[in-house]
Amino acid sequence: MSIRLEHVDFIYMQGTPYEKQALSDVSLTINKGEFVAVIGHTGSGKSTMVQHLNGLLQPSKGKVFIEDVDLAGKAPNIKACKQKVGMVFQYPEHQIFAETVFEDIAFGPRNKGMSEAEVEQQVHEAMDFVGLDYETYAKRSPFQLSGGQMRRVAIAGVVAMKPDYLILDEPSAGLDPGAKEAIFERIMKLYQARKIAIILVTHSMEEAARYANRILVLSKSRILMDGTPREIFLHHRDELRQASLDIPQTVQLVELLRQGGLKLPEGLLTEPAVVAAIKKVRGLH
Amino acid sequence: MQPLIELQDLTHAYTDAENNQVLALQKLNLQIEQGEFLAVIGANGCGKSTLAKHLNALLLPTGGKCLVNGMDTQDESHLWDIRQTVGMVFQNPDNQIVAAVVEEDVAFGLENIGVPHAEIRPRVETALKAVDMSAYALHAPHLLSGGQKQRVAIAGVVALEPRCIVMDEPTAMLDPLGRKEIMATVKKLQREKQITFVYITHYMNEAMQADRVIVMDHGQIVMQGKPAEVFSRVAELQTLHLEAPLAATVAADLRHAGLSLPRDIITNEELAAALCR
Repeated sequence: MSIRLEHVDFIYMQGTPYEKQALSDVSLTINKGEFVAVIGHTGSGKSTMVQHLNGLLQPSKGKVFIEDVDLAGKAPNIKACKQKVGMVFQYPEHQIFAETVFEDIAFGPRNKGMSEAEVEQQVHEAMDFVGLDYETYAKRSPFQLSGGQMRRVAIAGVVAMKPDYLILDEPSAGLDPGAKEAIFERIMKLYQARKIAIILVTHSMEEAARYANRILVLSKSRILMDGTPREIFLHHRDELRQASLDIPQTVQLVELLRQGGLKLPEGLLTEPAVVAAIKKVRGLH
Repeated sequence: MQPLIELQDLTHAYTDAENNQVLALQKLNLQIEQGEFLAVIGANGCGKSTLAKHLNALLLPTGGKCLVNGMDTQDESHLWDIRQTVGMVFQNPDNQIVAAVVEEDVAFGLENIGVPHAEIRPRVETALKAVDMSAYALHAPHLLSGGQKQRVAIAGVVALEPRCIVMDEPTAMLDPLGRKEIMATVKKLQREKQITFVYITHYMNEAMQADRVIVMDHGQIVMQGKPAEVFSRVAELQTLHLEAPLAATVAADLRHAGLSLPRDIITNEELAAALCR
């Protein structure tokens, strides 16, 4: 159960003066059950890379496999494989079009050929997952909702397709901290309940550190690093800075405290861990 | 000195799709001083953007007054003076760029207000220099990075020589590097051109760099003060669905455990200094 890229190159506008290599020799496997954060500055190839994961873009060179099926091959189940990968684009609320929340979420499942009873079931479940009450919101116009709620409708539309792999391109951009927290609480619930893979594209190192169990760092169209948040943020700080990325605030704080002579242990990544460690060296409880 | 912008009981009411009366702004009183860098924070739907649109008469009060350099926004004869005093920069740089060449884009506003041709070129050059984009004058905007595009949009406003620029989440769509570029640009323009900034953001680390912060909730100003005063009130911020900076949160936890620390810690450096003495 995996998506696999093998030596993928991608060149935009090949053969024109604007030709640009967006991916160079990218190989990686993402397994079901992983929570992968993809980080990298603008233009590093993040969006191009994730669009290969469900065949929206086809590699200029190299191969893409979903569940061992070659997307460029002739297997009869290619379409079914692509449908296992759901994609939530940036600002997905801009893609909402239907008159009611129900109709908008039902669009994908209907296209997939589900019966009306199944569609209703999926919409109901998807709304539960994103935390929108069915009775209250199903019949409302999505355009009267707040930005955070509209985004949850858009995510529900993808969740209703029951993807095994869910790609989220900056799902928290433009939301206030409370709405961000609510979105991630829902994503974590979905991740844990359905044991799917989440692929999160983000500019926030805090989000990557807090939610992911694996981090891919892209730089100049290549995979620069691939490891756990702990490995990446604690042991590769200089490389991250060179790739013009930040390190999480927690790591910066610990760095300063250690430089100042506070004897904190290595490996502190989360806020509670930092607080506990400071209390310990200060003899507090 | 007269404040550049003065709100007196500013109220904005509208009727929503279900015929309910909504008060987006409720009797707001605020003075914004000439040359100040004011950050505005608050949860989605708290009235921040509605407030921004009043500052250059894109919206008009349904109660109270909004005075820009002494001019009442309700007085239509001042409309163009007000719009020239207060410029706006929005979230999405792609929606604000109109021309196919950077310098033409910056010149667009000047041509619109009838600036003589001989004056346009130097003003465009000065504006591009002010945002550090001179090297890109002849580039195509759509091939620039998000931060660069947003700086072109700012140059378009700077060229009009406003006294105040209102920015509504200008960094929401940018990466960390782009966000730093915009912050540096704002500070440079404040320092070198004495431009007043009203800066709406969800990024607390940006608001921390302002001279003053106001926090909005349900159309009202609920907290205000210097960043250190506002951001050290961790519990209050949390009830407003905002997050305090890491250092302030950690400091609050440590104080709670019995450590005595200064009240106004908001940056990692300040916390390190207090703990490593």
